[in-house]
Amino acid sequence: MIHRLFITFLILIPSLLPAQITQEATGIDESELYASTKQVNQFFRRFNGEEDQKGNRYYENDKSYRDVELRKNYLTILFNTENNRISKDLKKQFINDVTSRQNPKYLNFHKEGWFAEVNAVFSRGGKDENILLFFKIQPQGQGYEWVLEKASVEAYKSSFNKDSSSNKSFIHPMSHELDFMNLNKAFRNSKGVDFTARNFKPDYLSIFLYELSNKKISFKTVRDLKFHFFQCAGWYFQISEYNRSGYNRGWLISDLTPIKEEQIPALKALIYDQQ
Amino acid sequence: MKSIIIKNLSKISFVASLLCVAASAFAQDNISPQRKQAIDSLALEKVRDLSKYISIIGDKETAYSEATRVMERAGELFAPDSEMGVSSLTTEEITYYKVQEYFQRLMALNYDKVKIDWYDIHYISDLEKQPDGKYVGVVTVYQRFEGTSEDGLSYKDTTKKDITIYVEKKKTQIAGRTIEFWDVMLGDIRVTETSA
Repeated sequence: MIHRLFITFLILIPSLLPAQITQEATGIDESELYASTKQVNQFFRRFNGEEDQKGNRYYENDKSYRDVELRKNYLTILFNTENNRISKDLKKQFINDVTSRQNPKYLNFHKEGWFAEVNAVFSRGGKDENILLFFKIQPQGQGYEWVLEKASVEAYKSSFNKDSSSNKSFIHPMSHELDFMNLNKAFRNSKGVDFTARNFKPDYLSIFLYELSNKKISFKTVRDLKFHFFQCAGWYFQISEYNRSGYNRGWLISDLTPIKEEQIPALKALIYDQQ
Repeated sequence: MKSIIIKNLSKISFVASLLCVAASAFAQDNISPQRKQAIDSLALEKVRDLSKYISIIGDKETAYSEATRVMERAGELFAPDSEMGVSSLTTEEITYYKVQEYFQRLMALNYDKVKIDWYDIHYISDLEKQPDGKYVGVVTVYQRFEGTSEDGLSYKDTTKKDITIYVEKKKTQIAGRTIEFWDVMLGDIRVTETSA
């Protein structure tokens, strides 16, 4: 009961939180830090209703573990309230759906259906270059590890702009009889991608790894991070970290949309920037 | 005075380790909620030790020889090759420092007076098993820093510190008996300046 009141306080009347926990040295209110979703781990626990207001974990035998009302309260504060694109109605639909008593939906750290998007900075020939790296969790050895699944590199894309017009370059169908000697002209005058099959899809991750191992690029730093979730059937959402003052801070839902199963591959392609 | 604090910290860690050993009679591969709580306490103890060491290293009244000794002690809390990844509100990109380098920079800060305090709040993640069988988790704490220069100008910030903890079951021989216990080491730390 007390933890529910506390959360209600956080949502509705933060000004009533005890003044004495304000830190005068910096002006940061400790209750803001309690309200903040401080780790992705905490996002999972709050989403699933698996911890109390102080961050102490609930386990399966605990009375409040995954309690519907607890989850509803937490889910309400897990949205970036400054994002007007997520309407109140949509939030409500989502919260009601994932906390439904008949078919509740939970997040699972170890299962497929979520991945990280890391905006990293690499150096290429002394110049900084942003590269998006996508990681997923996989079982390995005695535990789990994050593994690279995709890379999106702007610099590669221009090499794969394929000419699909009727005037496109081609290697004529009797080239084999000439031991493909015409490759000399073909590769001199046209981009190689024009000679690939209709279903060719470039694999940026392989190129990225090749360049990394050949020291064409070198890692500098991480600039930004977000996570994409497809674990709740019928929904896609994204979480980002908001480093700001107030109660609505930390790891929060930054994008939410209903989605049909058949739309997922297209959305993933869009996220991977490889549609 | 600071030597006494350091000695006390060592005693606290030792007692915590003993508690951990005592609890290890039921040691098992999967971590039960009770075991997790014991490990959390041990991890928090190490984080508190680190917090106190940082406060001592940053304190301008700490003698150089003492600060050097404390830096060594602080380094012992960490797994090899641990790094600090630091970003500020103005530069979101992460700058990387070796732990000892970070301490050196802290000691060399150009303020006449430095005050480092810690918020009471902390957050401890779940423990996840790595491929090598060790467990890994993250403890989040918040630190207040205030540096004042001779002319009275002061710089204040609050940083969030996400501290990696490695948890490993180890064995030791005591009086001919093999005792298993859980040991906690600190790892990489992500330091983020937070908005006031």
